[in-house]
Formats: sequence, C-alpha cells, structure tokens
Amino acid sequence: MTGVLGLDLFQWWAACISGGSVFLTLVSIYLYVSSKTKRKTGGPRGAGALRFVVDFIFVWVLLGLLIFYIVSIDIGSPAIFAAGNILVEAFLIVYLLKNKKGKSDEP
Amino acid sequence: MLRQFKNPIFAILIACAVIAGVYSEPRQAVIILSMIGISVILGFYNEHKAEKIVENLRQNVAIKAVVTRSGKTSQIDSRFLVPGDLVTVYVGDIAPADMRLVKSKDLQADEATFTGESFPVEKTSDGLHLENPMPQQLTNYLFMGTVVKNGSGQGIVLSTGKGTQLGSISKSLVRSHPETEFQRGIRQYGNMLITLTLALTVGIFALNALRPDRTLVDALLFSLAVAVGLVPELMPAIVTISLAQGASRMAKVKVIVKRLVSIEDFGNMDVYCTDKTGTLTEGKICLSDYRSLGEEEDERVLTYSLLCNSAVVSDTIVGNPMDTAIWEHAIKLDKQQSAVPYTKIDEMPFDYQRRIMSVVVKNKGETLLISKGAPESIFARCTHAEISGKLRPISSVQKAIDDKFLNLSQLGYRILAVASRRAEEKTSYSADDERDLTLLGLLIFTDPPKKDAHEAINKLKEMGVEVKILTGDNELVAKTICDELKVPVKRLVNGSELMQMSWTDIKKVVEETTIFARITPEQKLDIIKALKANGHVVGFGGDGVNDAPALYEADVGISVDTAVDVSKEAADIVLLEKDLLVLSDGIKEGRRIFGNTIKYILMGTSSNFGNMFSAAAASVFLPFLPMTAMQILFMNLLYDVANMTLPTDNVDEEHIKKPARWDIKFVRKYTLFFGPFSSLYDFLTFGIMLFIFGAATNEALFQSGWFVESFWTEVLVIFVIRTRRIPFFTSRPGKWLLLLTIACVAFGTILPFTILGGFLGFTALPPQYWVLLFLMVATYLFLVDAGKVFFYKICKF
Repeated sequence: MTGVLGLDLFQWWAACISGGSVFLTLVSIYLYVSSKTKRKTGGPRGAGALRFVVDFIFVWVLLGLLIFYIVSIDIGSPAIFAAGNILVEAFLIVYLLKNKKGKSDEP
Repeated sequence: MLRQFKNPIFAILIACAVIAGVYSEPRQAVIILSMIGISVILGFYNEHKAEKIVENLRQNVAIKAVVTRSGKTSQIDSRFLVPGDLVTVYVGDIAPADMRLVKSKDLQADEATFTGESFPVEKTSDGLHLENPMPQQLTNYLFMGTVVKNGSGQGIVLSTGKGTQLGSISKSLVRSHPETEFQRGIRQYGNMLITLTLALTVGIFALNALRPDRTLVDALLFSLAVAVGLVPELMPAIVTISLAQGASRMAKVKVIVKRLVSIEDFGNMDVYCTDKTGTLTEGKICLSDYRSLGEEEDERVLTYSLLCNSAVVSDTIVGNPMDTAIWEHAIKLDKQQSAVPYTKIDEMPFDYQRRIMSVVVKNKGETLLISKGAPESIFARCTHAEISGKLRPISSVQKAIDDKFLNLSQLGYRILAVASRRAEEKTSYSADDERDLTLLGLLIFTDPPKKDAHEAINKLKEMGVEVKILTGDNELVAKTICDELKVPVKRLVNGSELMQMSWTDIKKVVEETTIFARITPEQKLDIIKALKANGHVVGFGGDGVNDAPALYEADVGISVDTAVDVSKEAADIVLLEKDLLVLSDGIKEGRRIFGNTIKYILMGTSSNFGNMFSAAAASVFLPFLPMTAMQILFMNLLYDVANMTLPTDNVDEEHIKKPARWDIKFVRKYTLFFGPFSSLYDFLTFGIMLFIFGAATNEALFQSGWFVESFWTEVLVIFVIRTRRIPFFTSRPGKWLLLLTIACVAFGTILPFTILGGFLGFTALPPQYWVLLFLMVATYLFLVDAGKVFFYKICKF
C-alpha cells in the first residue's frame, strides 16, 4: 500500500519510530553535554571514552531496541517480538538494580 | 457550578460537540456533551469540597469583636454584628463595622484605606455640626476596615458589610497579595502549554486538512480533540483539592491556612524571617525591675512609666506588651495608685521613627513632661541625669550609663529609659517639646527564650530553611538570645547601618546577615523585598501592628492567633499555638503537596504530550484517524479520573528534606526527554496493529489497540515518574492512588468488549495482543526507569 509522499505504510512507520528514537538520542546527548558543562563550573568529574560508553547505556539499549522492533515487526513474528522484550526487560532489571542498589538518589 | 464553564477547555469541548452534532455524527456530540457534564461535576465536587474545608478553617481565625448586647459583653465573630450593637475596640483592632463613637480614649485610627492619609487620625466621641460632611471629616465615626493605632473606644454599629463605607468602595480597594512563587510557576507552565498546544493544534489541522481523503470537519474535530488532550483541564481542581486537604491536615497540627495558594510556598520557603518576640522567646514580656541611676530606689521611675503608658486599664489590661507589663508589675506591688494624683494634659504617642512616647501631666500645680522609650532615643533628648537626687550633665555620666545599659542588654534584658522635665503650660504639645530632659532611670524587662526554640531552629536548618531575626530590639538583646539558642550569627546589622545602604548593598547584605536589629517596619519590608529579589522564597512571622506590611509582602506571611487583627488579616497562615515546632510540620505538609502537584504536571507534560505527538504523526500517514475525537476525549476523561487521588500519594523523604523550587526549565527538559518515550511505544503499537494484526484495513481494531496501550502507558507511568527511587520496592505509592489507577486500567481494558466500547467505536482485541501488550508496556516502564537513571543520576537534574 503506497501512502503519503510515495512511501508505503511500513516505511512510514519505520521512519516515524526511528525519528522518535533519534530525537530521544539527540535530547540525551544535549542533556548530557549541558550537565557536563554545568559540572565543569562546579568541579571536575571523570571523563573519557569508557565513561561515555557507560553513561550512555540507556541510549545503547534504546537504539538496540529500535533495531529489534523494526526487524521483528518486519518479520511479523509475535514470538520473536515477545522473546526479545523479555530479554531486554531482564537486562534493564539488572541495570536498574546495579544503579540503585544501596545508593540514595538526590532529589 | 456555572464557574466551571469559565474554563476555556469547556468552550473548546462545546465547540467540538456543536461541530460534531451539526456536521458529523450526533453520537459524537452526545458523548462529548456527556464528558463535559462529568468533567463539570468532578470539578464542581472537588472545588466545593475544598471551599468547605477552607471555610471551616477560616472560622478558626475569624476576626472577633467585643460586643455589648443587653448589658452583656462578649466576644463574637465580627460577621454577626448588627446595627445597634455596642462595640469596643482596642489598639491593633480592625474596626468591624461603621460605628458612631460614644466613648473614646486617646483613640487614633489609620484611615489610609479611604483617604490615603498615612498618619493616624484622632477620633473622639464629640458631636459635630457639619453639613454634607465627607467621611474623613467625621472624627466621631470609626469606619469598618480602619485600624486602631492607639487608645481605645466604644461605638454603636450603624452599618455592616456591604452597607459600610468600605463595602461601597471595596471593589476598588481589594488589596491583592503579590504573586507567590507557586503562582508564578503555574503561570509560566500555562504559557508553555498554550504555546505548545497552539503550535501542535494548528499543525495537525493543516496536515489533516490537506489530505484529500479527510473532511475539514474531521480535521478540525481531531485537532481540537488533541488540543483538549494536551491540556490538563482538571489541574485547577486537583491543585485546589490537594491544597485544601493539606490545609485540613495542617489544621490538625494547629496551623490554619487562610490562603490556600501559600501552602506550596510554605513548603518551598528557604528563608524564615522572624521577630524574636513570641517566636524565639516566650512572648510574655515581664517588667523584671525598675532602677534609678543611683544606688537608692526611686519610685518616680515606676509612677512616671505608669503615666507615660498607652495600655488601656479596666477589668483587663489591653495595650502593647511592655506597657501592659508595667501595669501588671505595679498591680503586683500594689503601687498602681501612685499615678492617681496626676492629671494627663496631652500625649505624644509612640511612633517608630522617634521610638519614644511622651505625656504631659499636672500635679499640685506642677506641669511635667515625661518621656519613655528606647534608651538611645531618650539619651539623645537628655541634657542631664539625676543620680542620688543630684543633677549631673549627661555628658559627665554618659559612659557609666552606657556601661549599665550594655551590661543589662548583654544579659538579655530589654531596656526602656524614663526621663522628664518641668514643662511650660500651653494648650498643646508636640514632639519638638521632647528636649532638655533629665534621665531618671531604666525599666528592665525580660522575655526568656522558649524551651523548644533551639530544637525548632535546628529542625528548620535541617530542612534547608535559614532563620533570620528582624527585630526592633537592640543588637545586644538579639545577640544574647541567639547565643542562648545556639543560633550561629553570621553577621549583625542594625537599622541605622541599613539606612545608609543602597538597594544593591541591601541585596548583598541580606544574604550575609542573621540578625537585623533596631529596624523599622519599612526596613523589614526592604529586607523581605531584597531576599525575594535574590530568588529566595521568604516567610515572615510577625504578630504586631507594624508587621502587617511585611506579612503582606512575604511569600508566606505567618502570624499567631493572639496577634492583633491587622496582622492576622494580612497573614496567609495563622498558628493557633506560638510554637516554632509546628512550623516544621507545616513546611513538611507544604512540601508534600508541592511534590504531588509537580507529579501531576510532569505526568501531563510528558506522557500526555508523547501520546498526542504520536496521534498527530499517525494522522498524517494512516489512511484513517488513529483515534476519533470522542475516543481521545474519553481517554482524557478516564486519565483525569485516574489522577484524582494523586493528592493523597506518598512523597519520598528526600523531597521533604529540602525546599523545592518551581523550575520551568526543568519541566521543559523533563518534557523533552520523557515525552518521546510514550511516542515510541505508541509507534510500536501502530506497528504491531498494522503489520502483525493486520489492522490497516480495520479502523476499529487499530483504534481499540492503540486506545488500550496508550491508556495503560499513560496511567501506569505515574508509578515510575512519582519517585526517583525503585518503584514499589523503595517507594510505595499511596493506597488510594494504587487502587483507583488499577480500577481505571481495568475499566480501560474491558472497555472495548462492552456496549459503551461499541458506542465509542471500539472492537474486541485478539488474545495474542494482550500478551504482546503486557510485555511491551513492561519494557516501556523499565525503559522509562532506566531513563530516570540517566536523567537524574548521570545528568544530575
């Protein structure tokens, strides 16, 4: 089925969900950079490539999920979709527990 | 009830109903009208409940009038006065009605409300013979709303309420409080919403109207529905009920909230300015001793201070605390008769510029001018001092007197000096006559610190509230009290220093100073304005006549039940007990309410916006509308119902510990970051519905699938957003919030299977969908929680 601007429905859908994910990634980078700038005035904090990779785990998960969702829906398999979600949930639970265990969050 | 319709959202909804009824389906119009009805009832119920709570609370601090009816004197709520009542007024009272005076004693009233005259006007019961007099010429009338600044009087009520002079001009005189920090925040938030809603609505309408397969009516209805979906129309009702319930809880700890909107600023207050009298100290000033300047006793010091005294003595003693204390002390020593032989000829009342009061009295042919007041002010007007019956030039004994005064002040005593001179006889006297005096002695007062003041100040400090002392006392007294209470004093500034400073200097000095001593009411106002200008949320606690302007100016004006009427009237919050500890309870409650209001706002701006963005985007590429206008409106209504119990939710301890601030930049960043999450999962649902369940040709199935997913994510995300901790494990939601949310989610889930669902255009969903939906929503909630870690912990917002 060909729709608006000559794109079919799936292409439209993939463009929208990718656009949303890219937007969220860009917002994350913006927030990270602006908070880093703020911190520079308040005091030094460790930086570097590894730090960046670790700090951005959330973004890697997001982008990974995007690829997984597009592929699984393109295949049209509810089973793959369900299994992938369970895996990601397990990963996120571990990530959340690791990040919050024994630490009190500042308001 | 009609007030509910003033909400512009209802105008949009009614427009939707009319457009739907005339150009589209009457069914849509019926549903939209039903939703308007339900929303109005919900809003009315909540606001009515809130108003009832506030009215009950106000009863506790209603202004009372001393009334004599049928020879019996009692104190009644001033609203129940009727013409013919005989009313007695004292210093600090607000006249409760228009009255013709039948008795007066040194009565002076502040009529600035009517005349703009800043000096108090003398009032007598003498008859007047004037034709067509102006109100300000009626010196034997006391008008409702005027403040008794001096003396006392009795008058017969002529008119009350709207029938009074004040009533006839009240609309032009309504004195509004300055906008609070919370109100400023809400206004900024409203502006942000309007901008976003307008941009999105116009954009959606234009994109949909350009599509050849969509009618203009459908495009218009859809864009209007999205606009309604974006606006948290129940926010005013939720905020009001949240504040009213909080006020009700605060009343249980004897804190009465007169102005609901001040509660949140109470919680966010980071500087609390207070006079030390009655808040840090017992507030019961006692005359401890009176001393001559020599070794022997001089009874004149007491006698003269009884004469130079503004307290009204009858069955009870009414007046300022120091004058009252002098009388109480004299009665205790049975020396009150010592003033009887004297006849008062004239009086120069106390004012805060001179800081003294004077009287002219006559006894056995001798006319005397007696002055009593702040030692420095009296010393400045003395040429001599009388020591052991001998007159000495004041300059020769000044050092000894200063040392004596300093020693007593350092011990925490409050000192007044008494001086006199023989006066020439004349018809009237003025402040210019307060010269060439002979210093006779000192009056020594005590006002011990409260037992719980130290604990209360520590509690406030722990809660991030800095206490500053703004007192008319001298710096030594204030410093001694602070030392006793172990309040660290960063800097001490007195009124005369402050007077020399520019506005820029004042703004700087208020940050570094703990004690402001010897300051005037105007300077209190300047200090509060400077703190506010520096970005603080300022509370001010006061109970005197001179505190009223500062109580108005502060973000939170706090007074006590025993304060003079004018202070109680100006205050936002009235403490039924003069106890600083209740302040911290009130602050906690304020922070709790603020925390819950912010949750609602963050929910609305993130998940709501996310959903509406995806609706807008989907409407462009889908062959049909992703949800009809009535479906969006119904979901919006259901979402609002689910949020009704948000004010009862628990708030994490870390939100109570520190003052929170309205930060519109934070709200914007939050919306920008958390909004897209819900859009992403909406798109995911579109994908599942279109490419797994083949809903591209089944409009009802698509809309049902998205309605359920959208509602689940929109409502359940509150459990993640409401805390920065791990939801449920380290932060439990309130039970009513949990129960109502579950009930609403259950209702939204079964809706497509019901007759109402069919009426709304929904259809039953396949069983496989529910499994995928459950997994997808779980991933969404975990991902938002991971986003929280990134937002709060890594970016440190």
